[in-house]
Amino acid sequence: MTTTERDVSRASGEGSSGHVPGGRDIWFFVLFESLVFTSYFCVYLFNRTQHEQAFLLGQSHLLLWLGVLETIVLLSSSWAVARCVQHARAGRFERARREAFLTAGFGLVFLILKIVEWVRLIHMGDTFTSSQFFQYYFFLTAIHCVHLLVGFVVLGVLVYQLSGEKRRSQVTVETCATYWHSVDFFWVLIFALLYVVR
Amino acid sequence: MKRPALLDDPKRELWLAWYATIGFYSLYTVVFFIITRTQPPGKPWYSPNQVVGWFAGRHEDLLIGFALIFILGGLSATSIALITYSIRRMTVSRAFAYSYLILYAVSAVPGFLFICVAMTVGAFRPDRNPEILRWIYDLGFLSFSGTMGVFLIGSLIWMLAILLDKNRVFPVWFGYLNLCNGLTEVVVAPSWIFHAGVFAWNGVIAWWINVAVFGLYTGAFILLLRNMILREDFGTGPMPDLPPEEGRGHMLAEFMAP
Amino acid sequence: MRRTTGELIIFWALPGVAIIWIAAFFLFPGFLPPMSPQWSAQKVAAFYVNHTSRVRYSMILFNWFCVALIPILMLIVERMRGMAHRTPILRYCVIGVAGAAPIAFLTATIFWLLAAFRPDRPPALTQLYNDLAWITFSCGVPFLVALCLFLAVAIYLDEQARPVFARWVGHFNLLIAIALVPAGFAGLTLTGPFAWNGFLSFWVKNVAIALWLVVMALVLGETIGRDRLAEQASA
Repeated sequence: MTTTERDVSRASGEGSSGHVPGGRDIWFFVLFESLVFTSYFCVYLFNRTQHEQAFLLGQSHLLLWLGVLETIVLLSSSWAVARCVQHARAGRFERARREAFLTAGFGLVFLILKIVEWVRLIHMGDTFTSSQFFQYYFFLTAIHCVHLLVGFVVLGVLVYQLSGEKRRSQVTVETCATYWHSVDFFWVLIFALLYVVR
Repeated sequence: MKRPALLDDPKRELWLAWYATIGFYSLYTVVFFIITRTQPPGKPWYSPNQVVGWFAGRHEDLLIGFALIFILGGLSATSIALITYSIRRMTVSRAFAYSYLILYAVSAVPGFLFICVAMTVGAFRPDRNPEILRWIYDLGFLSFSGTMGVFLIGSLIWMLAILLDKNRVFPVWFGYLNLCNGLTEVVVAPSWIFHAGVFAWNGVIAWWINVAVFGLYTGAFILLLRNMILREDFGTGPMPDLPPEEGRGHMLAEFMAP
Repeated sequence: MRRTTGELIIFWALPGVAIIWIAAFFLFPGFLPPMSPQWSAQKVAAFYVNHTSRVRYSMILFNWFCVALIPILMLIVERMRGMAHRTPILRYCVIGVAGAAPIAFLTATIFWLLAAFRPDRPPALTQLYNDLAWITFSCGVPFLVALCLFLAVAIYLDEQARPVFARWVGHFNLLIAIALVPAGFAGLTLTGPFAWNGFLSFWVKNVAIALWLVVMALVLGETIGRDRLAEQASA
């Protein structure tokens, strides 16, 4: 086997023990991004201890129920993409595609809720530059949204994969799903940190 | 004089380029972090008089350090060339390779030319009006840290090429690492807004964490380029693009001998 | 077989463009003799007030035509295809610096034009733009140095019976690279041969660039001629 073939078969996890859904590479990405996000969270928490009152004041401007709603929406999207993977594994590609579109739909709802939330805060006078807390708030939610937007592209790849007879690769389906789960995972952390921890 | 072994290696061009890349990044690190101490960056909240003090404390260091970059900075092209070559080996359209080449060729201008010019201009006339000196200081640091488009788009192009490539010239995890690196370019954008805090051009998030990611990314691709060169298998075919001719060069004849 | 259509047009554009460059060089009042970095801000401001038109027109000319160097560099890159290299690496290196080199010079022209745009500005600001222009112009040699080094290496590695460029062209490029090095130190001093108006940073550097253009043009012309004959012969 040439190096190329060996690498490809290893990536697809065929015939090798310790198969990881989607291949090891996407998990490397998730791990790396988790480290980066963790460092951001540490910086946030450290600064929070320095200015606890100001941060509490900022947090009080957030609507907890809206945060909860957004979390539920994103968790639903993760559930949808998990079902998509299940259907794809069982060969039910039409249903898998529908679940993928459902995932994107939930993602879109989340995005709209986020924008509504931002607009509301900006109207209230809480902007990126107005206070320390909102610097972190807008930064973390914005960088998460960038991940979400990339997630839409990934879902596009997923749908593309599921649409063509020859294109279907279970590995790619799982890779895309893993990415989407990571978007959800990061949101849960951000939600806990910004909305809940007081 | 005995011919050094490297010169007979068929991969000599690649190795020369790779060692030049190591040389360039080493020089870059030494000049910016050790000689001129412009990284980690000066503080954005300095008053004009503090900026005067910053320049005064680094007068010769800035001038000599950046003179070295003025002379050798063009070697940055070697890493760009190697990466372009790696993309050429992939099963994707050549548009990716050429895009990368051009994006990073022009990146040298905000990538080091502006900060070298700004800091040299700032240092070589110390009796300048402090307000103007601070403007130069801003120009240097913001043009260096805050010009993100080239590296963002460049990283995305390379990422796409790697993920679409069926030859697996680069491993998939490195494709994803390009996304991580591209995102640091998004994260640095607030440095144009804040004078202080974690998002300022010297901030924990906009500088320290970003540079850590970039450093890992650069280290990774230098190693991966080395692996690629080691794997390179030219075979013994004729040189590309040359008309068939007899007795063309001893090297080719050597390889084609039975 | 490589296509050479149109290359002669680009090639013969070089003398035309060179004339424009030389004309702009003489037109700019600050090159002959070169302005001194030691001038006070008042003197610099007075210079721009007295010579506003000449600065503007010469720099506009440079601004238009300095990037005309790029197609000519690409002709050299095309000749490099004929070299006995196993990879296009060195061609990519040359392309890499070919883009940045004229942009560095372009930035200098922008600063000179800015200085001349509002000559009644506070002298300290005019001096700032003048400094930025001169430092960019004098010290902005990294891409040219690298270009000469890459060409020299490419020529040395071109080991075949009839190399594209003769070996002496490689030595020549190496010499030019060395000649350009002192200009990188132009920021270190306001007087002497290294200052931006000094013998090394101004005269040696600019004469070296001019010499490079002339020699490479001659060598390039000869090589293009050879390639065209080969193309016609095989057609």
